[in-house]
Amino acid sequence: MNVIVVLAVILFLLMKIIGKEKGTKSFLSLLINFFIIYVAIILIAHNVNSIVVTILACILISYVSLFYINGKHPKTTAAFLSTLLTLVILFFFIYIIGSATRIQGFSEEEFEEISLYSLFIGTNFTKIVISTIIMSLIGAIIDTAISISSSMNEVYLHNPSISKRELYQSGLNIARDILGTTTNTLYFAFIGGYMALILWMKDLHYSLGTIINSKVFCSEIISILCSSLGVILIIPITAGINSYILLTRKQNLEGDIPFKLPQEINDKLPSEDTDKANPDKISIL
Amino acid sequence: MKNLMLHKKKILLYTLLTICCLFSLLFVYNDYNFYKETIVKVTTVQIVKKEKITDYYKNNDILYTQVLTGKILNGALKGKTVELKNQYSYSGAADNQYKAGDKLFVSLDNTSINANKNDSSASAISGTINGLKRDTYLVFMAVLFTVFIIAVGKKKGLFSLFSLIFNIVLFSLVMDLYLKGINLLLVCSIVVIVFTVFSLILVGGYNQKTFTAVISTLLGTFLTLIIAYIVMKVTNEKGVRYEEMQFLTHPPHEIFMAEILVGCLGAVMDVCITISSSIYELCETNPSLSSKALMDSGREIGKDIMGTMTNVLFFAYVSGGIPMLLIYLKNGFQTGYSFYMNLSLELIRALTGSIGIVLAIPLSLFTTVFVQQKFKKRSGLTR
Repeated sequence: MNVIVVLAVILFLLMKIIGKEKGTKSFLSLLINFFIIYVAIILIAHNVNSIVVTILACILISYVSLFYINGKHPKTTAAFLSTLLTLVILFFFIYIIGSATRIQGFSEEEFEEISLYSLFIGTNFTKIVISTIIMSLIGAIIDTAISISSSMNEVYLHNPSISKRELYQSGLNIARDILGTTTNTLYFAFIGGYMALILWMKDLHYSLGTIINSKVFCSEIISILCSSLGVILIIPITAGINSYILLTRKQNLEGDIPFKLPQEINDKLPSEDTDKANPDKISIL
Repeated sequence: MKNLMLHKKKILLYTLLTICCLFSLLFVYNDYNFYKETIVKVTTVQIVKKEKITDYYKNNDILYTQVLTGKILNGALKGKTVELKNQYSYSGAADNQYKAGDKLFVSLDNTSINANKNDSSASAISGTINGLKRDTYLVFMAVLFTVFIIAVGKKKGLFSLFSLIFNIVLFSLVMDLYLKGINLLLVCSIVVIVFTVFSLILVGGYNQKTFTAVISTLLGTFLTLIIAYIVMKVTNEKGVRYEEMQFLTHPPHEIFMAEILVGCLGAVMDVCITISSSIYELCETNPSLSSKALMDSGREIGKDIMGTMTNVLFFAYVSGGIPMLLIYLKNGFQTGYSFYMNLSLELIRALTGSIGIVLAIPLSLFTTVFVQQKFKKRSGLTR
């Protein structure tokens, strides 16, 4: 039996048992995401512009990861919108830093491995490195966005009379706890991936100057820092968008509601709030 | 009065941080004299040759040759002009295009130096390019990261920054221990415990919430390692392609297990702190909640984050294989074979990490609610 298959089966069973229907969906979304990456790589290999492919893939991936698993819910919409907004901001930043540091392609450490192959393949690796960084952080920012908006939603459900500002603050509080550990997740994931390389550098007694200027070290650090920046940036964005969506909607209860409220919210809403509702105000959804 | 003191402390801290950031930026911008290697700043660039090439697999590429003139920034020959030749391709998989303003590490050509010494009218010194000076960008990124994490995370941001630095130092020490001959998995296991306790206390403070998170993180991480170990043993590691790690002089199997352990730790920690943090936050906003309601809410959050958390690891790992995959695909390898060869280790890492994430949900939920209820009863408060 193949290790990958066995692990995948174990993961599927665990997700099904612990997450029930949502767990099954989560596993399926992993498969769908893998398929999206697969198609994206094939397209890039056929010389389609890698940046366009990456952006389309990221939109699809966030749509699948958020809406397919969590269903259509204001908290999901908030997470989706903030993911897209953060991606747009990050994209320009990564483009600039990715081309300035010239961390594309392979480093001298990998030359032995790649020397067997033709490297003049006509695909611009500066664009590839930008795609790679964006792909590696998309999961992290989607995760932070949904963690914040999901927790904020729970806080709101248990405390429906909360004000917009309080909800925003509550979101930031939760996010601060998440922030440190999410950067840790990324850090450990990268360390896990590069442990072998670090050992190699230690074996060869690289000097500090050589290490910090080397392509392989820089590309690793820049990937981690870009992902972390994404995770940091998305915190206020999600908290803001989510508190706006959750509470603006409440004010619109008597007006034209373009979407249906979940039953739990309706039950718990204090009646005086509905009296204050302003039917003229247009919800952003 | 006390408030004013706190305020003053804060201002002092921020001023110190700003000074540190500015100083480090200034430092890396002018640190030429700290390098033994010659550093050259490129002033003009000229493309002298442009040639279209087609490889064996019918991939079209363009090969450029550029001549760079630059000034030496350090050493005995400071201020002298240097002429450098550089060849790069459009794809740039293993070569670089250089631009005016770039700072390069260069080894100078000895004969041209001597000629220059004897005759000041001789043409510029020549040399070979060893690489780009990237430390400026690196420090710039680090400063930006510091500023952002403190601006958004405030005190907790600062603490997570400390924990990150601590982890880096500790990790470096572990690698040294391993090179001295101590079993890697054993060392990593001890370090995992230290990492967890330290990171979580630093991020969450020394309290009950952190305590529950530490316990569930350790349970989750080691349970995952055991599962991964059993699967690898039972299947005889069929389908694990260690070729990616072939440059190593150490047995790849041991290192890979340690990578799995460290790789899933962060993710498990993340799930545990998210769940315990949300449950405590719920209790604070609404202290009258029953433990059943807490469990339900926690389970709901767990289901919500399960899918996206597994995606974090999945993307962080799989994206790293893209450049090599492209080389394979463009070199005429079959699609299936290329994916299998390049992503097998990454997929195993992502899958074991995901198993850790899913396991951590019930573990942290039960631990948190259990500890909290126990505490509630003991203190006799309906907090």
